[in-house]
Amino acid sequence: MKQRLSTMLVLMLALVMVVSACGNNSKNGESASPSSSASNGASQSPAKEPVEVTLAGWGSSPEEQALLQQVLDEFQAKNPDVKVKYEVIADQYMDVIKTRLIGNEAPDLFYLDAFEAPALIEKDVLEPLDGYVTPEFDIDDFEAPTINAFKSGDGKLYGLPKDTSTLALFYNKKMFADAGITAPPTTWDELMSVSEKLTKKNGKKVEVYGLGQAPELARQMFMIKAFGGQLSDEQGMATFATPEAEKGLSLVIDQHTKANTAGQPSDVGAGWGGEMFGQQKAAMVIEGNWAIPYIQTNFKDVDFGTAEVPTVNGEKGTMAFTVAYVMNKNSKKKEAAWKLLSYLTGKEGMKTWTSKGFALPTRKSVSAELGYDKDALRGALVAGSSYATPWQAGSTLPTIMNNFNNQFVAAYTGGSSLTDALKKGQETANKEIKAAQ
Amino acid sequence: MARLKGKNKIRDLLSGYSFMAPTIIILGCFLLLPIGYAIYLSFHKVNLLGTVSYKFTGTANFERMVDDPRLWIALRNTVKYALIVVPAQTILSLVLASILNMKLRYRNFFRVAFYLPTVTSSAVLVLIFMWIYNSNGLLNYILESFGLPTYNWLGDPSVALLGIMIMNIWSTAPLFMVIYLAALQDIPENLYEAADIDGANGWQKFWRITVPQLKPVTFYVVVMGIIGTFQLFDQSYIFSAGSGGPNNATLTMVLLIYQYAFKSMDMGYASALAFLLAVVIMLITLIQRLIFKEERLN
Repeated sequence: MKQRLSTMLVLMLALVMVVSACGNNSKNGESASPSSSASNGASQSPAKEPVEVTLAGWGSSPEEQALLQQVLDEFQAKNPDVKVKYEVIADQYMDVIKTRLIGNEAPDLFYLDAFEAPALIEKDVLEPLDGYVTPEFDIDDFEAPTINAFKSGDGKLYGLPKDTSTLALFYNKKMFADAGITAPPTTWDELMSVSEKLTKKNGKKVEVYGLGQAPELARQMFMIKAFGGQLSDEQGMATFATPEAEKGLSLVIDQHTKANTAGQPSDVGAGWGGEMFGQQKAAMVIEGNWAIPYIQTNFKDVDFGTAEVPTVNGEKGTMAFTVAYVMNKNSKKKEAAWKLLSYLTGKEGMKTWTSKGFALPTRKSVSAELGYDKDALRGALVAGSSYATPWQAGSTLPTIMNNFNNQFVAAYTGGSSLTDALKKGQETANKEIKAAQ
Repeated sequence: MARLKGKNKIRDLLSGYSFMAPTIIILGCFLLLPIGYAIYLSFHKVNLLGTVSYKFTGTANFERMVDDPRLWIALRNTVKYALIVVPAQTILSLVLASILNMKLRYRNFFRVAFYLPTVTSSAVLVLIFMWIYNSNGLLNYILESFGLPTYNWLGDPSVALLGIMIMNIWSTAPLFMVIYLAALQDIPENLYEAADIDGANGWQKFWRITVPQLKPVTFYVVVMGIIGTFQLFDQSYIFSAGSGGPNNATLTMVLLIYQYAFKSMDMGYASALAFLLAVVIMLITLIQRLIFKEERLN
């Protein structure tokens, strides 16, 4: 009997040891990080060991990835004390970044779209960059709208724009020639009449749409503004259900539901506008700079041109999308991170990054040097930046966007009238915003 | 004597619990603790990003549900989905199992072939089906060749959920088919022989013997089916790229919880919704138990 008791004791002891060993492990794990950061601190002083800075971004084409790697290699050659670890977050980028920020596992530097910036700035998880900026960095060289997108209400700077793009009208030159159209449309009325000529139907089924549309807020926000509508007010409440906003948006909806000369990519089995245009299922699309290398590499036989987005209500308008590098406030390697950040957004790094035309520079000097304003395909995109609506509207934009998109699709597919859809979308968005406060 | 007995009892208890300790610790850490924590969170307003704060708000998260139109859309979608998918997959799996239980040629081949969809990862299935559902895809091609109307399966709110339903019925039915098949082989042969002597035809044998004999299994299949359909997430997530669109047509309860938790970072409300979902599933299971029990008494 005694033996049994002792066996049991041994068992219990073993269990206790296992459990306590687990506890020890986690403690070791915690103590490891201060020591490693201490060695980082040491390496910034003369000691040799390079500091590893993590940089995270979303995935892009292999060509773009290679170009970024080239910029990073150049940086590392010049700064042997900094090692860059580049990570690609393939899917649901913002969800991953936010979760990693909470878990204190976020990268030191990461991409941030202007539209998500206000929410993150509000949460105080980004490092203000004003203290790092030196006169040589020449911050006034950035295009004002692109850098202002990453400033907080009180004027603090939280991110440096890495590249930008506006939207322009892409048109298929061959289809235009076949239809006897000599020049791309310059007004929305012209766009509609041209679309009618370009649409090819087989019985009732449309095979080629005149215009490929993207029924989502990111692409249509300037249509809300065209007749004086507003997406949201100062408090971040949605205000898009007005007759003015409806007037602009109905141009988009009616061309699909009534005229049937425009369609969305999934109507013809494409994933997005660039693909739809490349597969020649739309004669025109309104897309950004990213579509140019995509079409050129994947659809070599498509001969296309670009033009500024046709005027609506006599006013020019388009959207501007800007992405910045931002620094994690809890980064333990801020000095090294700034070195990398200032190189990537500096004149030299940006020139290499934008040299192949995958992205458009945000620095005036780089723009002038690369001459994209005179480029046959990119000129229209550069011209748009002076009057573009930036894709940004306060910290509540993600909620507004989600509800707008859901309702807008309902109107787009004929499920409800545009008036009802906008009203419902606004109500739902505002309810959600109020409840979250 | 009595004291010795008491000592024995304590020792038995001790040894019993020490053997269970690993399981208790693991279950406690990874099951009970998270459940308890979720309930705790559901009564708080939680801010995790930036300055972490837990603010006790009482039942505010639950009151918020009443006025959340997206919750009602999600519930409606989920119920609609369950009401169509559960009966369809149960009937289909029963029919498939009965066919495979007959003395067919190559039936082992068919058993394997029918079971394949269940083995395939659901993410892969969704991607394949998205290709089939493409406007120029296989399904529309077939519909067109029969002169039937075609749909934009991925972009049209009125058919998007139906697309997921079809896919799910097709991929889950085989799992339950295997369960039915095992149960079918348990039905004593003499019942059928007796029916033969009484002059029953095939349909009568199926309806009067097979179906009633399978009732306990049917209960299991329906309960598991309902729980599975109420927890639908991956298919609609991939289908709509996480948005629940087009026009909230594929927004399910779990997808809504995911959106609130990881897109809006509103853990408190998301936990409250998860709690609601658990209660709803429990209630439905209870009701089912009552129904099935009643019939057993008859």
